[in-house]
Amino acid sequence: MTTAVATVRPALVGARQLGWVGAALGVLAWFITLPPATVRTPVPSLVLAVAAVAAGVLAHREERRLGRGAIAAGVVGGAGAVVATKSGVGNLEDVFVWSALFAAMLRFATPLIFAALGGVICERSGVVNIGLEGMMLMGAFFGIYGADVTGSWISGAIIGMAAGAALALVHAVWSVHLRADQVVSGFSLNLLALGITGYVFIAHYGDQGTPENVPRVPNVTLPLIQDVPFVGDAIGKANLLTWLALLLVPALTIFLFRTPRGLRLRSVGEKPRAAESVGVSVFKTRYAAVIASGCLAALGGVYLSIAFLGSFSQNLTAGRGFIALAAVIFGGWKPWGALGGALLFGFSSALAQRLPTFSEELSVLAQALPYVLTLIVVAGFIGRTRPPASDGIPYSKE
Amino acid sequence: MSILYGLYRPDEGEILKGGEPVQVDSPSRAIELGIGMVHQHFMLVPVMTVMENIVLGDEPRRGGLLDVREGSKRVRELSDRYGLAVDPDSVIEDVTVGTQQRVEILRALYRNARILILDEPTAVLTAQEAAELFEVLRALKKDGVGIVFITHKLNEVLDISDRVTVLRRGKKVETLPTAGQTEQSLARLMVGRDVLLRIEKGSAKPGEPMLEVGDLHVRDDRGLEAVRGVSLTVRAGEIVALAGVDGNGQSELVDAIAGLRHAESGDVVVAGRNVTGRGVRATCDAGVAHIAEDRHTRGLVLGFTLAENLALREYRSEPYSRHGLLSIAKIDAHARELLDEYDVRGGEPGKLASELSGGNQQKVCIAREIASNPQLLIAHQPTRGLDVGAIEFVHRRLVAARDWGRGILLVSLEIEEVRSLADRILVIYEGQIVGEFTPDATEEELGFAMTGGRGDRAAA
Amino acid sequence: MTVTREPDEAPEAGAALAGDESAAVAATPAARLAAYVRGGGVIVPVLTAVLAFLIAGLVMLITGHDPLATYKAIFEGTGIQWIFPWVTGDDRVTAALNLQQTLIITTPLILTGLAVAFAFRAGLFNIGGQGQYIVGTVIAVWVGSSFSGMPALPHIVLCIVLASLAGAAWAGIAGLLKATVGAHEVISTIMLNWIAIWVGVWAFSLSGPLQNDADKSVPVSNDIAEGAKLPVFWGDPALQGLHIGLFIALLAAVVYWVLLNRSTTGYEVRAVGLNPEAARYGGMSVARNYVLVMAVCGLFAGLAGALDILGWQFRLATNDIQAGTVGFTGIAVALLGRNTASGTVAAALLWGALVSGTSQRNLDPTIFEPDLAFNLTTIIQGLVVLFVSADVVVLTLLRRGQGLIPRRRRSAPTAAEEASP
Repeated sequence: MTTAVATVRPALVGARQLGWVGAALGVLAWFITLPPATVRTPVPSLVLAVAAVAAGVLAHREERRLGRGAIAAGVVGGAGAVVATKSGVGNLEDVFVWSALFAAMLRFATPLIFAALGGVICERSGVVNIGLEGMMLMGAFFGIYGADVTGSWISGAIIGMAAGAALALVHAVWSVHLRADQVVSGFSLNLLALGITGYVFIAHYGDQGTPENVPRVPNVTLPLIQDVPFVGDAIGKANLLTWLALLLVPALTIFLFRTPRGLRLRSVGEKPRAAESVGVSVFKTRYAAVIASGCLAALGGVYLSIAFLGSFSQNLTAGRGFIALAAVIFGGWKPWGALGGALLFGFSSALAQRLPTFSEELSVLAQALPYVLTLIVVAGFIGRTRPPASDGIPYSKE
Repeated sequence: MSILYGLYRPDEGEILKGGEPVQVDSPSRAIELGIGMVHQHFMLVPVMTVMENIVLGDEPRRGGLLDVREGSKRVRELSDRYGLAVDPDSVIEDVTVGTQQRVEILRALYRNARILILDEPTAVLTAQEAAELFEVLRALKKDGVGIVFITHKLNEVLDISDRVTVLRRGKKVETLPTAGQTEQSLARLMVGRDVLLRIEKGSAKPGEPMLEVGDLHVRDDRGLEAVRGVSLTVRAGEIVALAGVDGNGQSELVDAIAGLRHAESGDVVVAGRNVTGRGVRATCDAGVAHIAEDRHTRGLVLGFTLAENLALREYRSEPYSRHGLLSIAKIDAHARELLDEYDVRGGEPGKLASELSGGNQQKVCIAREIASNPQLLIAHQPTRGLDVGAIEFVHRRLVAARDWGRGILLVSLEIEEVRSLADRILVIYEGQIVGEFTPDATEEELGFAMTGGRGDRAAA
Repeated sequence: MTVTREPDEAPEAGAALAGDESAAVAATPAARLAAYVRGGGVIVPVLTAVLAFLIAGLVMLITGHDPLATYKAIFEGTGIQWIFPWVTGDDRVTAALNLQQTLIITTPLILTGLAVAFAFRAGLFNIGGQGQYIVGTVIAVWVGSSFSGMPALPHIVLCIVLASLAGAAWAGIAGLLKATVGAHEVISTIMLNWIAIWVGVWAFSLSGPLQNDADKSVPVSNDIAEGAKLPVFWGDPALQGLHIGLFIALLAAVVYWVLLNRSTTGYEVRAVGLNPEAARYGGMSVARNYVLVMAVCGLFAGLAGALDILGWQFRLATNDIQAGTVGFTGIAVALLGRNTASGTVAAALLWGALVSGTSQRNLDPTIFEPDLAFNLTTIIQGLVVLFVSADVVVLTLLRRGQGLIPRRRRSAPTAAEEASP
């Protein structure tokens, strides 16, 4: 009872660093066989891969998951390197144009970042949000619909966000007031959004689809950086919303961890009764958080329809909301972590998109990559991250 | 008390403060009125720091951001003023229960509370920590703070209070000056009749050892060693009590014996069979029954019917099931028998467990465990949360089981219960058995051993 | 001032940091639904469905359609009027054809509904019915189109068994992850859905490993062998008559009931669903049950896939895999059916009727566009799930209002108990 618990932390630093080094070595093993280095013999890669596995094994004793991750990185990196050295340099250079890959990664990651940040806010307040997918979809359709009707992408984005917020409001009423099961109610919102957007889309646009000339969210051309090799191609012409997404990450971090309101929001997600006992309103906080998450997720959808594609089709989001949810978990319910998750999944999508150079059917298979990756991550890392203690538990004042 | 603090709303009646009627419809209103509360279950966020917990809801700000430095400074000042010795930057889940309680007090003081309500504050404290708490409370009293101290421990009432109000079933029985009262007189007011403090029982006739625990080491959920080399023996026909303050490894020890928790090392031998690490089912098969500490989270499936609950131990064996299919009729008949025998009020086999009162729920648990005809019965806080009548019932059943030749391991936090029931008393402190006593041992002797037997343990 | 009070019935006494939330944790979805089933009866789910249909009617009204005419057209599309003896002549022939369609669609929905319901009873949410169904169809089409020389009965049995087992294995992954590393089944089953979809699409895509041998420009599988097709017992096999899979599905519902309510396995599953900690205390392995439950769920969903392939689809195109929603609909079916066997069958029939009544083939496009109607059913589905997720609460409030259940926090001991010996 009275023992000083705080002092009994074993020295894990060594093992943790070793684990990360191992993971990095695994990635490096693959990386050196790709352009621009394009080493043509697997030997150095295999040495690196073995080192990665060894580091993983050593780290495994104290840092089990990280150690396993390093071992996996070593094996996958080594295998990837062998495959790469057997492929033609030309093909490799087609696929691994790093600047283009990076730009594509940002494109694929942007909607995920928005939705994942929404998920972080929502779950930090103690409400599980499976409905991110539906909120994105609402944003995607009503964003383009609004832009088409009003002729301005700004009002389109606002209308899209309002639609996402409206759906989120339902989730808030259900999970906060009615104390419904949050997974079930979130799931129902996905169906609702699918039906509503599909219905209005067919009713309004019919077989024609959305018009070609809807106003789009502009790209930001950075005059100085634009012509710098690599960097210019990678971020020189990124979309306005991509920049907004990237800026939101530190902003949300400061909000959550450095402001009084952030402190209250986190306390509500951890222990609502404690928050209530000092006069913080659990209901208001959760309402605000859920609706904010709806706005953010919808913005991700807006990006998809009027920034990325310029069109809408039924079920446009195709599961991206779920990947965003996985990014939230992967990132340990932290904004920077969620960004990491979103970028990782964005990268795997970008890679899948470029793979048809190798083989048409492989690129189909590669579509499954983000989901496999998520599954591995959820299986391997989830035990290490800790969700907010009251995540998903309805609160009753009584 | 929760009404007073604005967490619940009163159905009727009024609250007066300084002679004026006031509306306390929210905790923030209570705070405005200068009412602070130290809850029985601390209202603290485990993953946050002491400072964050204290300033929550009334944060010092600088430029829209939380002013961490100012917050820490104010907490330190307050803490020093009342000699509380709390570090604002440590994380709540890393500090002791006693420290957490001080954080609760600090939180009220931070909000300039003039009236402090403490709900069963000593339930989780060691005697030493409780003594320290009383010092703090006396200092606060001197400072002009009014204190409402809710407890059911009579000695504490006599020790700390100036006036005492006795409540029974939500009604005030009487308000008296404390001076001149005795434990007996207060106890009479509380229960409305003389408490039967001792249960009638003959002397024990110990037989073969039913449980032998050898040098057992067990870790708790946080990976810390909670049981550190416990050895004990329980014989047939005796009640061995394990006494100790809550959180000294009792739960982990019981779980390890029952097969619910992995033991790092050591042996558990039940009626001659080594069941260490064999899991719950093998342990039960060897003859262990276990009245769980918490009937809601463990002892009962509240959404099951009473019949289903009563079959929890034996649903897999004949006649309750055959070839993997349940015999509903047999299960119901068995349940009806037990509900009758144990006098479970309003107990029909088809009724849900959640529909019973706590006392009757506990009777269901006890009925099931004793009916499984064990060699060893572990009774872990079997009377927790029960009223006097139900406590008596439970005690009689345990003695009866003993007289039937069962070995009984009683784990209890109540010294009175231990002394009245046990044939031998073992005291556990910080995961070790620190002494063995006979039932004649005085409360002081036991209490001394339960708190480590020395007075120099400062809070970490 | 000091106040003493007697030890009351507070169940939480003694726990320090656990806090009051611990009481809420005990209320698993399964526990809540169980309370609901006991109190709700048939009326609440019927009201739920009616309300959803009313709101959908409102949507039609707002968008300029006549809800009554639409619902009438949808109803006629279901063919249920076949049971009325006064429907005769050509109407009766059409109704019979439509009803066969309705029941063909109902068949897999019963099974995917059971796949979700069984998980719910164990406190798990199986969103992965769609993926498990897809795995079942892929295996069924593969086995069904191979071994063409085999006699009919063994071939059919082989297809069904392998497809069901494949579904079980697929779902078992989620169960295993839940049991071993604590990965939340909602996330892992969602991911497994998408993996199943893309792997399935890959299998039959152009130059995919299971693409048909006849025409390499079409992304579709080989047809299954004649002998592997399920016998049709009502209607014309050439016109997609009703196959015997319906009886297999109904049999599965019976098995579900016995398994859940009359077997020790079901006892364990329900205990785990209502209170995993108490189940562990009772000697059950919660982890083992999670794996088992998910595998059984996958078995049901995989079986659904097999019956669809062997009963009427006979082949699988990449479009079918991407556009299918049978597994997802199973969630609404299970929830509306209260996770009971009979309820699931009834809800599956409702959905089968709705889907077939709004299909391109059965709905008169001059009254309501089938494309719109498809989305309308999705809306209705969403509304039903939404209402079900909340009416647990509505019901609790109702009962509490009537004083039928004790208040959750502190139930005062009765006078009788006080006086008890």
